[in-house]
Amino acid sequence: MKHESVPIYWRNIPQYYRLVAKRCKKCGAVHFPPVVRCRCGSKELEDLELPKEGKLVEFTVLHQVGTDFLKQKPLVVGLVELSNGVRVVGQIVDAQVEKLAPGAKVEVVFRRVVADGKHGLVMYGYKFRPVGL
Amino acid sequence: MKDVYVVGGALHPAGRHYDKNIDDLAAAVLDKAIADAQADIEALFVASSTAELGNKQQLLGVYVLESLGLDKIPVFRIENGDGSGGAAVVAAYHALRAGEYNCVAVVGVDKPNDVLSNQQQDIYATTLDTHFERYFGFTPLSYAALMAKMYLKKYEYKYEDLARWAVLMHAHGAGNPYAYFRRPVKLEDAVNSEVVSEPLRLYDVGPLADGAAAAVLCNNKKKDGPRILSVTTSTNAVGFNARNEYDVLYSLEEAARSALKKAGITPRDIAAAEVHDSFSIFGALALEGLGIVKRGGALAALREGDLPVNLSGGFKARGNILGATGVYQVVELAWQLMGREFKRVEGNYGVVHSMGGVDRVSTVIVVGL
Ligand SMILES: [Zn+2]
Repeated sequence: MKHESVPIYWRNIPQYYRLVAKRCKKCGAVHFPPVVRCRCGSKELEDLELPKEGKLVEFTVLHQVGTDFLKQKPLVVGLVELSNGVRVVGQIVDAQVEKLAPGAKVEVVFRRVVADGKHGLVMYGYKFRPVGL
Repeated sequence: MKDVYVVGGALHPAGRHYDKNIDDLAAAVLDKAIADAQADIEALFVASSTAELGNKQQLLGVYVLESLGLDKIPVFRIENGDGSGGAAVVAAYHALRAGEYNCVAVVGVDKPNDVLSNQQQDIYATTLDTHFERYFGFTPLSYAALMAKMYLKKYEYKYEDLARWAVLMHAHGAGNPYAYFRRPVKLEDAVNSEVVSEPLRLYDVGPLADGAAAAVLCNNKKKDGPRILSVTTSTNAVGFNARNEYDVLYSLEEAARSALKKAGITPRDIAAAEVHDSFSIFGALALEGLGIVKRGGALAALREGDLPVNLSGGFKARGNILGATGVYQVVELAWQLMGREFKRVEGNYGVVHSMGGVDRVSTVIVVGL
């Protein structure tokens, strides 16, 4: 969306830059995005940085996009399972789509997500890049 | 607890209504529904998904009433994304059941064509998690595509099997005078349409359309209006990344189980269903979630021939009027049971499925004669 909110971006930087999740101290469940209460009922949660490698579960190539992504279209987006079993959704970059398939190894990369034209603010975040393809 | 009847209704044809403001579009259809019911309304429930983001109007209900010269009537705005319509009917139903009012109106309205198509994508994507899904470029379409891809693989269907959904919807839409598209299409048209997010093609997407629908609900049975037998809304408060399965609508399964039980009917009693097929795959999953076909069986059933689902044409042919759609569905279903504007269905029970986001909230409404 044009002109993303700066405070919203700023407060989500730990997640956008380092994939900081919450782990429940009681049952061990990992929550990304972070939650304030685990499904087990516990509110004792600690920060956990998610691993930076995993495998692709499924992907699609999206041709109808919002205003921020017109220059990047089509977007390859998908579901990734990280090495600790936690799943995350995100863009898949630097991929040869015809070689991409479920099970492909991917790594987390740090990339530009939104270049806000009017204010010149650039917003970053995690994306996924195939390894060895 | 009081019974609740659909006493009056009105629909505005879905389309591109550049000549009307959002409040005027809603007012026109509400006026018709009140005249149809021949009843005074004591409260107005307003369903809209994008009145603020797309049309720059808060407090929409007040401006709708102002347009009709109706003063001092309480207004309640319901926003459950593209499932707002079903949720507004639920709120109205509960108020009537409690005996707080005798007659209320529900009006659903959305005008996505007041903004450009890429801005529509921006706005529709706010039904997703805005910080961790929309921010990265996801839209409801991208998730529908991922679910369709996994469903087709799991049950070994061909894309062609899914494309039959659009063909059926257009066949039904041809009989709905309020539908956006009122012409049949061929399977080859669907199969050869542009890929929008593989495996989904243009014909898998319900086109966003402007429109408004209104229903007047009352405690007393009047004329030949059907009764709302039960309503249930349920949520799926689990992120797309953390879902157990990708070929099921969890919010619908729970809402359907509960609503059918309260109404005392089984899926076999359903003579007509209006389901939330914003994308073809959701139509197939809704058939399964309602228990009309078994899990994985929707596209096989579609291959066998006609199904009494979305006689309106669904989101594909009637159009996706976002938060107004649930109100359209209730009026359409009531009229199908009555044989008004639509061919009368063979049976006395119908269900509406109204969903917000990608399986985040579902409402099931059981209507019976
Ligand atoms: Zn826990």
